[in-house]
Amino acid sequence: MSKKTVSLFLALLMMFSMTAALAEAITVTDMFGREVTLAEPATRIVAMEPGDCEILCALGCEEALVARGLYCDYPASVLELPAVASGGDTNLEELLALEPQVIVMNDMAHTKEQVELLAQNGVQVITTNADSIAEVYENIRLLGAVMGKNAEAEAIIADMQATFDGIAARSEATDKTIYFEVMPLEWGLWSAGTGTFMHELAEICGMQNAFADIEGWQPISQEQVIERNPDYIVLVTGMGETAVDEVKDRAGWGDMEAVKSNKIYNADSYQMTRPAPRLKEAALELYDFLNDIAE
Amino acid sequence: MITRSDRFSWRSCVLFSFALVCVMLLCICAGSVSIPLADTLTALWNTLWGLEVPQGISKNIILNVRLPRVLNVALVGAALSLCGAAMQGLLRNPLADGSTLGVSSGAALGAVAALALGVKLPGIPDGGVMLTAMASAFLSLVLILSLAYVLDRSLSTHSIILIGVIFSMFASSVINLIISFAQEHIKSITFWTMGSLSGTGFSHTRILAAALLACGVIILRYGRELNAFAIGEDNARHIGVNVKKVKLIILITVSVLIGICVSIAGSIGFVGLVMPHMTRMLTGPNHKRLLPTALFSGAIFLLLADLAARTLLSPVELSIGVVTSLVGAVAFIIIFCQTRKAR
Repeated sequence: MSKKTVSLFLALLMMFSMTAALAEAITVTDMFGREVTLAEPATRIVAMEPGDCEILCALGCEEALVARGLYCDYPASVLELPAVASGGDTNLEELLALEPQVIVMNDMAHTKEQVELLAQNGVQVITTNADSIAEVYENIRLLGAVMGKNAEAEAIIADMQATFDGIAARSEATDKTIYFEVMPLEWGLWSAGTGTFMHELAEICGMQNAFADIEGWQPISQEQVIERNPDYIVLVTGMGETAVDEVKDRAGWGDMEAVKSNKIYNADSYQMTRPAPRLKEAALELYDFLNDIAE
Repeated sequence: MITRSDRFSWRSCVLFSFALVCVMLLCICAGSVSIPLADTLTALWNTLWGLEVPQGISKNIILNVRLPRVLNVALVGAALSLCGAAMQGLLRNPLADGSTLGVSSGAALGAVAALALGVKLPGIPDGGVMLTAMASAFLSLVLILSLAYVLDRSLSTHSIILIGVIFSMFASSVINLIISFAQEHIKSITFWTMGSLSGTGFSHTRILAAALLACGVIILRYGRELNAFAIGEDNARHIGVNVKKVKLIILITVSVLIGICVSIAGSIGFVGLVMPHMTRMLTGPNHKRLLPTALFSGAIFLLLADLAARTLLSPVELSIGVVTSLVGAVAFIIIFCQTRKAR
């Protein structure tokens, strides 16, 4: 064989082995639009945000978690993991010392600079973000790909979608309104408008969001709540057992439809606000409340 | 040139009361939800004379939401403005005010600490928080003044303000620290730094009115002494003012008033700083006229600021501190430039 033929053969061999290696590697595009390539599914991972932590556990990857963000608290077993500061207090040294392969961060809570710095230090960073149920599915798919659990991810998504479809099929579209309260009166009222899970859940249940004219979470005027006279009040304030009585006792709220007919529900605020598979349970509980189905 | 009498005349009292009532009416009639003027006035008129008020949305919004809020805003504005005027006179410091001296932050720190530790007074709701806020406001004031005294015997304008600002920053970071560590639900940091009167009711009105009545009478009675202080502490002593006693009484009264305002409405900046200045342009430096006028002007200013906060972005609400700081800072710079030019 001539020298030329040998080198051609070697080059072909190299190309073949490279494509074989690439086929095993995982390339994902995260929510910042960054392309991240992993040689193999991650086995050492840190979840900074509660929603991502819940998704990873639902995928059956709790074993792979080496630490959790401070506010990750579900399932309860993750509380045994070491907690790291997240959001504005993110401590890069603390994170690097854990030697994770992948850190999952949220693009709202963390700046692009923090993400870039970590990436430069040899840790792969995956950013997630979700303002809608469709985007939660994307997050689940993304993390499923990172962990090599594509089938599990699709199963979770299918289950969630089937639940939402089931509720939507059972619910009749009405003009009745729900007022979601995310901050109590004592702190200045806040409600949730379009671009929130609460808004979508109301739609799935066939109801109107009383504050569909605002975007995201906003401080709102108490007068507006009284004037809009919602048929249902859903508290997402996480204020404990006395929250419903506090609402009933508010001056000027007594004539409100929801208060008169006692349609006030103290929801699990984490379940209803976190981009996680538990949105399914949030939807079921909301449906039960709206349709007077006792738990 | 208008001849200025020595006292706060009945005529100006009637004039300012009239202006205040007009602004209050405006603030009750205008809001996030537009309610026909006739309904509003009927609801108010009937309540005033104890007549039956027609049921409905307007009754709930006007009487249960807007009226208590407007009353509380007026009382807080009056109290803060009066405190500012008294402190500016006492310390002969045109920049003195609850927020610049660090008294408001001190009060907020006390309130947050009381909430985190669950300090309670039997019988009075929020009594523990208010009492701690008052005590903390007074202690901060004493701490700041004694520090300033140690550093600079003349108690010059700049050193007091500098220490006050540093203390405010310190208090804010401690508040932040407590909020992030506390298990209890504590109002967010924006409430303690920007203030808000949304959600306050008639129970707060009663407390604020009682506090303003008690403390206001005390401060107003010291108009003559404050005039003497304005010329100098030595001068005050020479004309027979018990300097130590007057100083202590005014400082305690101011702390009590600011403590109560902060625990109910959060720290609202600039009212106590700017309003006395604007008032002084109108009344001159005589405290016998300045102090009562500052009451009215502070109330009117805060009412208009709150109206803007409530209505500008409806149905979304702004923090009242955002409006007062925006307007206050600009107004202050204008006043500052004008007084410089006048010199």
